[in-house]
Amino acid sequence: MRYETVIGLEVHVELATNSKIFCSCSAHSYGADPNSHVCPACCGMPGMLPVVNKRVVDFGMKAGMMLGCDINRVTTFDKKSYYYPDLPAAYQTTQWFAPVAVNGLVEIETSKGKKNIRIKQIHMEEDAGKLVHDIREDTTHVDFNRTSVPLIEIVSQPDLSSAEEVEAYLERLKTLLRYARVAECEMAHGTMRCDVNLSVRPEGSDKLGVRAEMKNMNSIEAIKRAIEYETARHIDAIENGTEELRQETRRWDDIKGKSYAMRTKETAGDYRYFPDPNVMPVVIDDEWFNSIKASLPEFPEVKREKYTGEYGLGEYDAEQLTKSIALCDCFEEAYSVCKSAKDAANWMISEVMSILNAKKMTYDMLDISGKALGELIVLVSDGKVGRVNAKKILSAMFDDASIDPAAYAEANGLIVSNDTGLVEEVVKAAIAADPKAVADFKGGKEKALMALFGKCMKQLKGNCDPAVLRTILIDHIQKS
Amino acid sequence: MKLYTAKTETSAENKIVVDDMILTKDIPTTAGSKMLEGYVSLFEAEVLTRLNNAGYGLCGKADVGEFSFDLLGETSCNGANIVDGKLVNAAARIVSDGDAFAAITLDVNGSTRRAAAQSGLVSIKPTYGTVSRYGTIPVACSGETVSVTAKCPMCVREVLDVIAGHDDKDGTSLPEELCAKIKKGAEAKKAEKVAIIGDFLSCVYDDVKAKVDAASEALKAAGITVDVIDSKVIESARVAWNILMCAELCNNVSRYDGVKFGYRSRNFTNLDELYVNSRTEAFGETLKTAILFGSETLSTENYMKVYDKALRTRRVIVEEFAKIFQEYDAVIIPACSSLAYTEETLKNKYIAFEENLFTAPASITGLPAVVSGSVQIIGKAFSENTLLDLAKIVKEGK
Amino acid sequence: MDRETLRKLEMLNQLSLTEAQKDEVIDFFAKRDSELDIINKIDTENTERMVHVMPVLTVVREDVASQPFSRDDLQKGAPETDEGYWCVPKVME
Repeated sequence: MRYETVIGLEVHVELATNSKIFCSCSAHSYGADPNSHVCPACCGMPGMLPVVNKRVVDFGMKAGMMLGCDINRVTTFDKKSYYYPDLPAAYQTTQWFAPVAVNGLVEIETSKGKKNIRIKQIHMEEDAGKLVHDIREDTTHVDFNRTSVPLIEIVSQPDLSSAEEVEAYLERLKTLLRYARVAECEMAHGTMRCDVNLSVRPEGSDKLGVRAEMKNMNSIEAIKRAIEYETARHIDAIENGTEELRQETRRWDDIKGKSYAMRTKETAGDYRYFPDPNVMPVVIDDEWFNSIKASLPEFPEVKREKYTGEYGLGEYDAEQLTKSIALCDCFEEAYSVCKSAKDAANWMISEVMSILNAKKMTYDMLDISGKALGELIVLVSDGKVGRVNAKKILSAMFDDASIDPAAYAEANGLIVSNDTGLVEEVVKAAIAADPKAVADFKGGKEKALMALFGKCMKQLKGNCDPAVLRTILIDHIQKS
Repeated sequence: MKLYTAKTETSAENKIVVDDMILTKDIPTTAGSKMLEGYVSLFEAEVLTRLNNAGYGLCGKADVGEFSFDLLGETSCNGANIVDGKLVNAAARIVSDGDAFAAITLDVNGSTRRAAAQSGLVSIKPTYGTVSRYGTIPVACSGETVSVTAKCPMCVREVLDVIAGHDDKDGTSLPEELCAKIKKGAEAKKAEKVAIIGDFLSCVYDDVKAKVDAASEALKAAGITVDVIDSKVIESARVAWNILMCAELCNNVSRYDGVKFGYRSRNFTNLDELYVNSRTEAFGETLKTAILFGSETLSTENYMKVYDKALRTRRVIVEEFAKIFQEYDAVIIPACSSLAYTEETLKNKYIAFEENLFTAPASITGLPAVVSGSVQIIGKAFSENTLLDLAKIVKEGK
Repeated sequence: MDRETLRKLEMLNQLSLTEAQKDEVIDFFAKRDSELDIINKIDTENTERMVHVMPVLTVVREDVASQPFSRDDLQKGAPETDEGYWCVPKVME
């Protein structure tokens, strides 16, 4: 018999806000000292009241729109109760009755072609804290920095049927959410985590099999291995009766390459949801809805088409630039100033992206001004700044995004000089100082000219049009 | 027995006592529970900040029943306050004795109003959302309100003016323009017609009945029409409120687990024992029962037929009041069944779930309620000025 | 309410009742159950549930971070801390 795997995903994504969802503590907890970003509210003490961070709703809506969802114009928050040391108030505020977004659709592409994955809902909620188990043998250490950091949970319908599709789906979510600038989606940082619900059934059957849930998966490779292992385990159980399948939560051990049933309490899953009386319903009026709608980016494939079509760039350039929305924005802004897509693309790919790589920054972290980059490109194409000095200016722009290239060039003596008198003086001095090079050049050694040229350019601090310098240099050598 | 959980020095002329549901910086807050042993808040309640800024001085903190949902404070971990065989509420007693000009309390389940009625004090539970709950111990957030108790309507008025107003730190706080409606000088309708809800009169002793009669006579003497009307719907508030209150309470006290602050059992070998033993040792019996009841109302099986039903009943009650207020300016309901509770009363540990018959209507709807002349007068939202005028007539005959 | 349901309910709420108290709680539940008739008589068929009594909507704050509280202060009253963490007995995962 042939079998098919039925997979639904619950993907948790940490939203890239400044502050937490219900209190004003910093939401940037990754790598911080334990419990350095906490207040009485997010460590479970009584008396503070939750006030919703508006940007969380903005981002929730944006995510919903990017994933093709309908937005609930009245969205509400509910309390979910359970005891666990990473949940300081013993309840999590989440959305149970009216999540921000419902009924979405995400298109993925795999080796088998295109496929639509339905999104059941996206809800906003607070994250839990972190438990550290390896400081002392008998003790678990609790860190509440991550408590109340805003999350969205993206719940798919069970429309996925292979590890390849799951990977494509996760990559697509990552791309779209990063494009909307709502989340980092970095599994290694825990800013994207995934619960996998999997069952197996005979191909063509419309009845779902027994479901296993694997929680908190945090690497795509591990997810793929877990799906393959679980699929095989289920088929083995169905075909050979090796075990009786039960609906259960399982833990994936990526080192052993096996999954294990987790010990669960008999009261597990009894969350006693109820509407939070302290959080008023959030009503999304047309003005708010439309402002978010207007702020959505073009999808990457739309941008690629625009770059290769309208802008006349090659496939490779378009591919490179659309790797991140930050690159796209910077490029498009630079292009609007310098009016040459090819120049803007070249600067982006050969300079900007290599600086980011060298600094070990992600492309999303780019924050230089596209307008300034465009101005810099104009300075170069107008011959006002030499290419070497232009790179210096660009490097300075990475340290201070507010730099105006023309003013900076002026202030730091990086403007190409039109003073041929100065160039002639420098050339004369260089020729006088190195008669051997002059003789070599006259004797037919082209390289000797380059040495002289370099010395002069250095003396001129790069502020000379290379063609001008070359002409004057050859002219003087021949005269000498 | 204990009136104060903490006493503080103040040189202010107007002394204020707050009950131990109100957070104070540098002074312990117990909520009447052993569970909060050693707990000192790092911030103070918004009401206290406003009072301090207005020149009031804190003279101490009054003991409360455990999480303040009992009759008068008898479930405090310090034991009941019984004077001459009668149960006494700490905050009301401190005001009656003249040791504080006014008491600020969190009215969770009517204890403030019962205490005022039994001590002959005046108390106001203002419209929900007009006084910030920032810095109060959360119990039944959808209905609990910071209240003021003092000796006369004008004294209550004075303090209410200081604490009322919008607060960004409380997401349920109303906008300033709505809060302003309850302050002195805001336009207020002069009451012409008041209704006594007759159903409640069959549930009270003669001493309370006499107070209602006296209030009725005083109002009539002032030219106000007083009618007796019936409403089974308003009587049902008690059952619905017990459900909502216990569910919210269950959730709000789940944070007390012996991990972050407060009491921790010495007797545990693993996490579950730490949780169970800390909570079992530190919580009182009435509270435990309320937690279990509240939890059960929210179970998957009961949610729709119990909790959701109570939420819908709440709206029916709100609509019923609205209907009555189309014809009447205020409604009189007794605040308690009797003008004194004895030790005999306390034999029923769960008496507060029955005695709140009288206080639940204003708690579940968030409507303002004034206690004066030992009766409770409930008005429309933001009708505090009308209610305080009526309180004056009831108390002083004009 | 029976003993078995009550046992689960205790477990769910991290409480352990004495036998005498269990009887009391069961009585309490019975009494509350019988009172449900009072609200069941009210027709709520076409009534929306009411969570918030005041019609205030969309209370949000701007996304500005601040850190007015220090860890040392927050942990002053903690039963057990170590190296800046709160501590609990080892959690088995």
